[in-house]
Amino acid sequence: MKRILLVDDEPHVIRILKLSLIKAGYEVAEAANGIQAINNISQSHPDVLITDIDMPRMNGKELCMHIEKTLPERDFMIFVLTARADNEHRVWTRSINNLEFLEKPVSIRKLLARLHEHFTDLAQNEEEACLTAQSTQ
Amino acid sequence: MFSFEGQHITSEFTQVQPSTAQAAITSSSPVDFCRYRDVDWRQFKHDFGPKTMSTNRFLSAIKNERLGLMMILASLIVIMVTVFLLFSYQQKNGETHIREQGANLARILTSIPFEQLTSSSNINRLFSVLQHNSDNTAFAYLAIADIHGEILSETTSPGIIVPTATVPNKPSAWLGERKLTLPSNERNVQEFHAPLFDNGEIKGHVRLGYFSPVFGLSKNQIPLFATFALPIFLLTPLFYFLIRRELRPIVHVNNQLDELIEMSTDSKARLTNNDNLHDLMTRFNQIIISTQQRIGELETDRSKLVTSTKLLSYKRSRIESILQSLPDAVMMLDESGSVSLINNKICTVLGVSSENIIGKKPAEWCSNPEIVTFITNHECKMTRVCQAESMEFTTPEFPDRTISISPYPLFSHSNNSQIIGTLIIFHDITAEKLSINRSSEFVAHLAHELKTPLNTLAMYSESLQGEDGSNEEFRIEAANVIHDEVERLALLINNILSITKIEMGSIGVDRKRVKLRELLQDAFETCARSGQEKNIDFRLDLPRDISPVAMDKSLIRIAINNLLSNAIKYSDPGGSVTLTVEETDHSIRISVRDKGIGIALDDQKKIFEKFYRSDNDSVREREGHGLGLPLAREIIQLHHGTLSVNSKPGEGTEFIASFNKETEFFKQAS
Repeated sequence: MKRILLVDDEPHVIRILKLSLIKAGYEVAEAANGIQAINNISQSHPDVLITDIDMPRMNGKELCMHIEKTLPERDFMIFVLTARADNEHRVWTRSINNLEFLEKPVSIRKLLARLHEHFTDLAQNEEEACLTAQSTQ
Repeated sequence: MFSFEGQHITSEFTQVQPSTAQAAITSSSPVDFCRYRDVDWRQFKHDFGPKTMSTNRFLSAIKNERLGLMMILASLIVIMVTVFLLFSYQQKNGETHIREQGANLARILTSIPFEQLTSSSNINRLFSVLQHNSDNTAFAYLAIADIHGEILSETTSPGIIVPTATVPNKPSAWLGERKLTLPSNERNVQEFHAPLFDNGEIKGHVRLGYFSPVFGLSKNQIPLFATFALPIFLLTPLFYFLIRRELRPIVHVNNQLDELIEMSTDSKARLTNNDNLHDLMTRFNQIIISTQQRIGELETDRSKLVTSTKLLSYKRSRIESILQSLPDAVMMLDESGSVSLINNKICTVLGVSSENIIGKKPAEWCSNPEIVTFITNHECKMTRVCQAESMEFTTPEFPDRTISISPYPLFSHSNNSQIIGTLIIFHDITAEKLSINRSSEFVAHLAHELKTPLNTLAMYSESLQGEDGSNEEFRIEAANVIHDEVERLALLINNILSITKIEMGSIGVDRKRVKLRELLQDAFETCARSGQEKNIDFRLDLPRDISPVAMDKSLIRIAINNLLSNAIKYSDPGGSVTLTVEETDHSIRISVRDKGIGIALDDQKKIFEKFYRSDNDSVREREGHGLGLPLAREIIQLHHGTLSVNSKPGEGTEFIASFNKETEFFKQAS
């Protein structure tokens, strides 16, 4: 089962997302701010990180930067959800690999679809890699 | 005065007003002139006719030369008197001389015996001797006469006939003198006669005649006199010419003064050309007068000039002080692109001194190539008007300061279509940028705050639409969440609207006489009801009489509500919230105290900023937008009051709204 880490300071958001994601068959962990998220990640990498930006203590941008610095070989996808759509955020989100920017209000259906797409692609890539590895042998 | 020249009248002297003179110097005839001026023609002619003119001229000339004439008269009189005395002296002298001679000679001749005298040769010898000895000019004749008076022998001056006259018989009269008149030329002769004796007997007489000296010049003297007079007469013209030559400079000066007079004034007519020294003085005086007038005029002009210069320099210094006082830095480029004028703010903005940049093109003194390029590209030349663009830059010395450069064409004051240069204004837009940033930040905050509940609503409603919608439990949960979020959203929007309106000044403060006691009681009770679930102790401490105030009831209620709801929100269960009012002579203080989680010192500075919420977990776990306090403060400040905070984390917080009683709010109310 794929593990998703949800980071948001709004309890309602966490609740509804958690509900929907669990229903879709994912395992969900939660954090209320960046620092809690880092703690969680250090224990075990999630498959996908979904985070808000505006959070106390350490916000989403700082969290991503931290992850970039400390885990350069990160293999999990990051989805940044935010109500802030100003240029500044588009700029920094574009500069990091494996990071997607999603604007609030988020449609749960679309999010689930996107996740599904991501994991499907991931699976396909893994298959191809295996096949290539096999063929070279 | 006028003189006639045919039919025309020309003016000569300046005694008459120029206007009259000019009226006359038309080609109207004198008759017409008189008719025009209502003057009797005959009287006019009499007064101003030629004869009267020359007489008048003559009389005035005499008047001018009074002194000279008197001197001449006096010297003439003296000369005449002297000459008279001289002549009479001469005559007397001559007479005396003659008398002496005649008498002596007669006496001598008397002693000579008669016979000797009758001999002609003796007589001739005698006569010649006598003639040589005596004063010849006066000698008229010498005659020897007998008793009967017949002339025996004589010798005379040329052309003289001895007058016939008998010698008196009386012996006492034999020796004597008498006056006779010569018949030939009517000259008087002084005759001396003496008897001639021969042996004691009178035989005859000797008659000796001398010319009486005349008064004046005798014929003999004339040549001598003429000899003296000739050189004098010859000298006189010489002296005259010499004097005239000496006086020529004066004549010359006179002429020059004439010219000066003519030059100095327009309306003065010419004076008659007179070499007289008096005229010279008069004219000189006139020159002085007209020069003084001119000086007076020049002085007036000069003082006007000084006044106008002072006025100009005052205006200029006023404009200069405006220029220097402008908050922006101003630079003017002339048509060639060189700096022609700056104000002193340029030095702080660009970091250059005025001497270094005046007269030079920007490329020479500006260290920032972007600025140089911008200025050069935006110069207004001739008819090309610079584009209305602005550029922003910051300097390394002041990295937080942003300056905008705006070029404008400078139009000539007199000719609106002519461009004479470029005006460049350096405007400090740091504050503007800050304000824009704040606005952008506010909008960003606002968007975020609005989108957050919206997001929750979206997700829950989406879920309701899906499978979860059939779940009763989920439906109830969703309904509650949606309801709460909508309330939150409504509150947020109201707060935002209120605070924005207050900041923009578009809220009308509806000041009415308010009984604070009632208002506070009301608010307190409302809040107490909603906070009851939290098991908080509510206390109200109001004095019985509070001075009436003039406030906007609804706004103040919002403010007090915000304070009370904060107190409730940030108190733990079992805490307490107290609302107090204190009144002094100068102020009224409303205080909201709680025993809640308190506010950290760092946060206390920021809690009145819009959307600020402390990072503190215990704060964050409570919902809030961060607008309650800013709004309350704005409202209180709108009523000329202040909102302050005392807090210690973990112990509690007190918010105090303080209103000065000296303000209108209170004066209006009472």
